[in-house]
Amino acid sequence: MIDAGTQDSESNATPGTHHRARFDAVVRFNRQVCREHYILRLALPGGFPATRPGQFVQLGCRPPDGAIDLDRLLCREHKWESGRGVVIEQQELCGSSAFLRRPFSLAGRGDDASGTWIDVIHRVVGVGTGWLAGLKEDDKVDLIGPLGNWFSLPRGKSIGLLVGGGVGLPPMFYLAQTLAQARWAAVGFVGATTADLLAVTFVEGVVPDQDGAVAQSVVQFAQLGYGAVVTTDDGSLGLRGRITDGLVRYLQSQSPEDAQQTVVFTCGPEAMMHAVADLAGRCGVACQVCLEQAMACGMGTCQSCVVRIGHDQDDSHGVAEDGRAWRYRLACSDGPIFEAQQVVW
Amino acid sequence: MTTPAADNDTTTAASLAVDLAGLKLANPMMTASGTCGYAYEYAGLADLARLGAFVTKSITSQPRQGNEPQRIVETRAGMLNAIGLANIGLDAFMAEKLPDLRRLRDSGPRIIVNVAGHSLDEYVTTAGRIASEDIVDAIELNVSCPNVGDGLTFGTDPQLLKDLVRQVRGAMRKDCKLIVKLSPNVGDVTQTAGAAVEGGADVLSMINTYTAMAIDINKKRPRLANGTGGLSGPAIRPLAVYLVSMVYRHVAKPAGVPIVGMGGIQYWQDAVEFLLAGATGLAVGTALFVDPATPITVMDGLRGYLVKQGCSSITDVIGQLQIGGDTPRTPYP
Ligand SMILES: Cc1cc2nc3c(=O)[nH]c(=O)nc-3n(C[C@H](O)[C@H](O)[C@H](O)COP(=O)(O)OP(=O)(O)OC[C@H]3O[C@@H](n4cnc5c(N)ncnc54)[C@H](O)[C@@H]3O)c2cc1C
Ligand SMILES: Cc1cc2nc3c(=O)[nH]c(=O)nc-3n(C[C@H](O)[C@H](O)[C@H](O)COP(=O)(O)O)c2cc1C
Ligand code: FES
Repeated sequence: MIDAGTQDSESNATPGTHHRARFDAVVRFNRQVCREHYILRLALPGGFPATRPGQFVQLGCRPPDGAIDLDRLLCREHKWESGRGVVIEQQELCGSSAFLRRPFSLAGRGDDASGTWIDVIHRVVGVGTGWLAGLKEDDKVDLIGPLGNWFSLPRGKSIGLLVGGGVGLPPMFYLAQTLAQARWAAVGFVGATTADLLAVTFVEGVVPDQDGAVAQSVVQFAQLGYGAVVTTDDGSLGLRGRITDGLVRYLQSQSPEDAQQTVVFTCGPEAMMHAVADLAGRCGVACQVCLEQAMACGMGTCQSCVVRIGHDQDDSHGVAEDGRAWRYRLACSDGPIFEAQQVVW
Repeated sequence: MTTPAADNDTTTAASLAVDLAGLKLANPMMTASGTCGYAYEYAGLADLARLGAFVTKSITSQPRQGNEPQRIVETRAGMLNAIGLANIGLDAFMAEKLPDLRRLRDSGPRIIVNVAGHSLDEYVTTAGRIASEDIVDAIELNVSCPNVGDGLTFGTDPQLLKDLVRQVRGAMRKDCKLIVKLSPNVGDVTQTAGAAVEGGADVLSMINTYTAMAIDINKKRPRLANGTGGLSGPAIRPLAVYLVSMVYRHVAKPAGVPIVGMGGIQYWQDAVEFLLAGATGLAVGTALFVDPATPITVMDGLRGYLVKQGCSSITDVIGQLQIGGDTPRTPYP
């Protein structure tokens, strides 16, 4: 079995326990996969530390400092360009660009003859992702990673249900690769509000089942031998309804033995993950969630990314409506992956 | 890569060494409290051994869970934070973090522990206990906190601030320096700066964040759960440079008290502005989130600037701002 690794859930504060660093990545390609979504492949010429599904990277979503001559810009030296006249470019006067880095889950990784690459799938929602959308082959991207913990493959389990809603899909693709290597059985559950927001590639000639039956319809899963269930809120493709509508059918049809073997892995909008976690709980199936929170540093220094995690010792931070005591944990370094039953939503 | 010793090598380059009221730093570069954790969080991303000094997150007597999320939001060229002083508390700090800080100090940087509190007693006991550790070179007082007793913010009330500084200074190991971190959220910062100096501050650091707000125009609610937050990053740099220049001319220079300047430092050019305005030390906060190695790249840039200017020491630049005429400028000319 592929060990998802020993999780050092303790703080990241000791040197040498991890290998994240800053990298100058080079764009191999940046392709639109559907409306608003792009797959960005970044080459890391000098290699990249070991990664696991669930981990993320912090991308600088603006031209890297090295790409512009800052000394010239900040010292207000200017140059003459025929046709344009005097060009004075001061970085800080060049309008709004993303200042902080932006976190993105790893959607895949490969080490091939031409070196190491990682995939990120991003949805354009603002200034930073807008800048990413314009990246072309050979452009430079400043990257810090790998960050965060990862999905674990518990001993005694062998069936993975990969539930990815909207922009929560990317880590599911990477996880599917790892599950295939570990010889797990798996099914992908992919959902979006409407068909053209599904960031997946469909197998030609295989139409996702309208009743939510598993089909080899999604390339990212089918190429590993895994089927998928597709749902859209408006019924424009696959089963009409929420991702949980597809998942509940599947869970109800499972034998008790299979349910015992199953882990639900989920990432997506918080309301969706909450519903998936509740459903898994009701069915007695293990579940791991990938939580998101606004992040500045991404590595445990700024304390901005807190999430509420169940905690039954004296030093809890609060008590939820259902009576469960909780403590703030950092999504960036204690997470982003947590056991679903631990999360206080 | 340059070795720590080379940061203070006068034979090949200008000296970067500075003196903060007797606390000798190999170079002026420091981290800003709350943006760099407790010690080694940035290990592997920044050569921490090359810092002049490392400044910890604010420590309070009890652990603090902090505010509800969302705690941060990016604004143009900056960010708002309402972390709420989340920290592990004095006992855990002493037990778990001091060994790391000792190791860090052995590698080069001086150690400065930032202390916050919500009553005079809390400041005094926390600062006194931390200062009793020999590896702690200085205490930095975060006075941007309300006093639970009367709701007044220590850092905005000159009399309260003076009493606080005097009592904390009295409770500290004698050779441990006291740095008072000034809040910009006051009408006249020279008043609070003066009060801190009268109270016995060895060094002034400035500035903490500006109280500010960002609004979600669709929900018609503040974007931070706390409502307001502190603005930091490049957006506040010109404001910070101005306040440093005011305090330098009217308080710090006459009193012979050095200033640690901060607020939006990201490039070496920013740092030079602070030096010219009168800062001796330079702290980098928000820019660490973009690149934890910022203080090191700034330092390398500073060295180049000094050579180009024909200076043999960074001290030749401090406070060298030229302002036309003798008339002190008012904020609104
Ligand atoms: C651990 C983690 C993994 C992530 N993985 C991916 C991924 O694989 N692909 C992807 O497209 N996105 C991912 N995100 C979300 C991504 O980081 C944000 O969409 C991005 O920061 C937006 O930046 P922007 O400058 O384009 O938008 P901004 O201009 O900053 O914001 C535009 C809008 O997006 C919202 N927004 C900003 N940050 C987030 C966030 N973290 N989560 C949800 N909404 C946000 C804002 O509230 C605002 O309404 C991840 C976030 C986290 C914390
Ligand atoms: C996320 C965050 C947390 C901070 N926490 C503290 C703190 O605990 N104590 C303190 O004195 N200042 C704190 N500050 C203020 C900084 O130390 C610094 O004074 C301010 O951000 C201005 O510098 P900058 O623009 O370089 O960030 C914090 C700033 C940020 C952005
Ligand atoms: S993002 Fe800074 S602590 Fe998590």
